[in-house]
This record gives sequence, C-alpha cells and structure tokens, in this order.
Amino acid sequence: MNPVFLIARKEAGRLLLDQWALAWLLAFSAVLSGFALLLVSNAELSLLDNAQVVYMMAGTVMSAGAIVAVILGCDAFAGERERCTLTPLLLAPVSSRELLLGKALGVSAAWGAAYLLAMPYLWAVGAGGQDLVQAIVYLALFGTPVVLGFGCLAMAFSAKTGNVITSLVTSLIILLLAASPLLIGPGLRGTVIGRMFDALNPFAAALNTFDAVVIDNETFTKQLVRLTVTFVWLGITFAVAYCAARRPRFR
Amino acid sequence: MLIEADHISIELSGRPVLRDVGLHLNEGEVYGLLGPNGAGKSTTVHVLLGLYSRSSGSVRVMEQDPELRAPAMRRQVGVLPERAGFYGWMRPEEYLQWYAALFGGARFSIPGLLERVGLADASERPIGEFSRGMRQRLGIARALLQAPKLLILDEPTNGLDPRGRREIHDLLRSLARGQNTGVLLCTHLLDDVGRLCDAVGIIHRGRTVLEGPLSEVLARKGGGRSYRVRLETEGPPENATLPTGVHARTLSKRWCLVHITAGAPTRPSRLWKYLLETGWRIVEIHDAGGGLEEVYLKCTRGDDSARVGDER
Repeated sequence: MNPVFLIARKEAGRLLLDQWALAWLLAFSAVLSGFALLLVSNAELSLLDNAQVVYMMAGTVMSAGAIVAVILGCDAFAGERERCTLTPLLLAPVSSRELLLGKALGVSAAWGAAYLLAMPYLWAVGAGGQDLVQAIVYLALFGTPVVLGFGCLAMAFSAKTGNVITSLVTSLIILLLAASPLLIGPGLRGTVIGRMFDALNPFAAALNTFDAVVIDNETFTKQLVRLTVTFVWLGITFAVAYCAARRPRFR
Repeated sequence: MLIEADHISIELSGRPVLRDVGLHLNEGEVYGLLGPNGAGKSTTVHVLLGLYSRSSGSVRVMEQDPELRAPAMRRQVGVLPERAGFYGWMRPEEYLQWYAALFGGARFSIPGLLERVGLADASERPIGEFSRGMRQRLGIARALLQAPKLLILDEPTNGLDPRGRREIHDLLRSLARGQNTGVLLCTHLLDDVGRLCDAVGIIHRGRTVLEGPLSEVLARKGGGRSYRVRLETEGPPENATLPTGVHARTLSKRWCLVHITAGAPTRPSRLWKYLLETGWRIVEIHDAGGGLEEVYLKCTRGDDSARVGDER
C-alpha cells in the first residue's frame, strides 16, 4: 500500500476508531446540538428566516471544523515528536511529501466525519426551506479548502516548533483573526480596511459565499473569485507546510 | 565498510555540537560508541542517519551519503532510537505490520520476531500498557523487521531486567556472528561494551578521542585490571616474586591491591594459582575495576581537546 494511505489510515484509525478518540466527535456534536437548539428554540432567534438560520449553522460547522483541523495539525508533527514516534517515521522510506500528504489526509478524514455529523443538524434547522441543499454543497466546496488550509498551517507550525502548545496557541490566534468577520459587526466590515480584509481572508470568503448563496440566492459564477481565494489559501498553506515538513524538529 | 565517517562537525542553533567525530564499522562487527552525557553520541547517530546535515566532514553509510536519505539505504538500516516511541492504541503485531508496510513488508514473520524478543505473551495487549523494558524489546523488534545489514541501537538494554539484557546480548551476538550484521551500539554501560564489542569509539565534547579495536585500545591505553585481595596473613609473603606485568601493593594489614597491566601475558585465573603456589594465603578476591572503565575515565577527564588526532 502507498505510504500516504498507510499514514492516513493510521491517523484516521486514531481519530475515528479508538474508544477515546470518539470523545471529540461527541464534543463536536454537543457543540452543534447546543447551537441548533439555540437557533430553533430561542424565541428571538426564531424570528430569523430559514435562510439566515442555515447560513449561521453552516458558518458554525466550518468554524468548529477549522478548530478540529488546527488541533490535529498541531499534533501531526509536534505531538508525534513529544510521543517519540516521529523519528521512526522519518527513518522509514517515506518522503516528506508523502508524510505530509498522509497527515493532511488524516485531517481531511476528520473534516469528512465532522461534515457528515453536521448533516442532521443542518437538516434540523433548515428542513422545509429551499436553502438546505445549497448550504450543504457550498459548505463542502468552500469549507473544505478553508478547513484543510488551517490544518496545513497548524502542521507547518507543528513541524517547525516541535511543540504542541506553541503551535496550537499560534494557530488558534491566526484562526481567531481570520474568523473575526464572525465577531465584528457589519459596520466595521464595511470600512475600507474591513473590505480589504474580507477580500483576502479565506474564512470571510467562505462566509460571504454562504451569505450570498443561501440568503441572497446568488449564482455560482459570482462566487468564483471567492472560491479562488480559498484554494489559493490552501495552496499557500500546503506549500508552507511542505517546506516545514522537509526538516521537522524531531529531538 | 558499513560506516565510514571522518571529521564530522555540525552546528545546531549556532552552537557547535560535533567538532571532529570519526567512526568506522565493518560487516559482522559490534562497535561500542561511548561518551559522557551530552558528548554527542546521539547527534552522531542522527548525522549517520541523515536526520541532521553536517557542516563538514565525510560520511558514507552502506556506501551512500546518508543525507540523500535514499529509500534503499533506509531499508537496510535498522534503528532503535534513544527513546523508542509507539502508538499506544495499537497492539504490537498490528504496529509492526503497519511499520513494515511502510518499508514494503516485513522480511521476518512478525509473530516469530515477537517471540525472539520475548514479547510473544504480550501480543494481544495494547502497547500503551507496556512497561519500559517491553517497549525497548518492541523497539528492537522494529529495528529487526527488515533483516538489516546495519543495526544502530541507542542504549538497547535500557530498562531491561538482567535476563532481558542477556537475551539481547545473545541476539546481537548471533546477528553479528551468524548473519554478518554490523551493530553500532551507543551505550553508557561499559559492561555491555566489554561483553559484546569488537571495536570501540569514545566521544568527548563533540570529538572522537579514541577509536579502534577493543583489544588494541585496551593494550595501547594501558588499561589493565585491578583486584583487591584479602589475605589470611598480614601482608604477602616476604621476597614474593610476581609474574611480568603484575604489581602488588599493600592497602592495609590484610588487604592488597594486585594490578595486571594491559597486555600482560598472565591471565587472572593463572595468577591466582601462581600466587597460591608461592605462599599467598588468599581468602577473598574482589574486582576493583580497570580495563575499559579506566580507559574511558582517562579519555573523558578534563579538557582533552589536545589529544584529538593523537589517539585516533
């Protein structure tokens, strides 16, 4: 079997099959349950229309997925180093590209599981509306490069620093910065700096697409620039992770 | 030659860690790499494995530059790193199968290998439940998966009980003698080196201060061996003569220190027979060290940078 799939299988096995690893899936569904309950049952939020509820849920799934990807990315090299399992991997006839791809596939498997887990929640808040299918498709299309990009960025910090805590804190701060459109009001996002930040920020690109497609019913062709932003983000972060993984800190 | 390394130097974070290290290992030879903590033994191993880029010097492992990290070379080198880490949720057989698959499959039967390192009874337990000694055994099994031509073992008997230590000694001896495997042994245990090694290298402060066949090293550095001997009488017999290369001095009323210099023709067993025959009334004999320990202590004492090159 190809080393990429062997490494990915090991990562996915740890993430999805180990009895304790299932804890993160439970925690993930608890977060989505709480948020879905808030959206559906809160009297004030029930005043939101169906499209807005679906948009908020899609944004939440992507944010939670990015947090999971950052945590797994930080563990990919630094965690292996701290458990003394990185050296055997580096001594095997596996190139740094294969090692990185295997790890990235592991993060993808986790995102895939999280995405599938989010389906019932999206259905619960969006059933009956016309926006549900669009949200599901665009979450896969735009959410995947954003989430994997954060996973790759975390892997780069992880390989370079060899320290889980350092890489986790750094990656989470960057994720928080990128996710600031969720935190700051539309007024601030309307300023020149806010608009520039929105144009370059892959996280904002995905959120704005959900907004444009789910709420405003815009067409796919109008989203191509934002789609490009998210895939450029993934390309850049993968390249950075590749450079870092060529000589990871192993001692 | 399996390893041919000369004048390696390396800087890590701007700090020189290795200044002038040399190491030469032949097929079927067990080489003991000795040195104090922080002397650069593990760094040397990492340079030999291509995990660190050297600043200068030449290294050939299996006729190749390890920095190229050629897959063919990696398939022929088995390594037990300083700290052997495993995935705790896997079972040993599952882990070894997974690790072997990264190399394209194992060349040994994995259950047979687990039996060989004494882990057959633990094959159903997750590795997370293993003791340190069991992990060490599993690490050795991992190093042997590819039937390597070269084994690099960093402190292989760490955490092993006396029986386990003996088993690993026997295993390494059989690999070197029977299968012509070259073994590089990094250790602090001089006893392991004395029992197993054909050649020895001592690193101190990032420099090789001594290297050569063990017997030659012991003879050249005048190691010898000392024994504390308790007598029934007060002191040795008057006018006692001693064989060539043997010296004795009185320590107290009934205790003497007998020293056999390195290269002396007299073996201890013959010496005791000779002494008894010449009137020494010996009650007890205690090994007081010497040999490799003495050589090691001499080589790693103080600043011996001036000796580089003289001893090699």
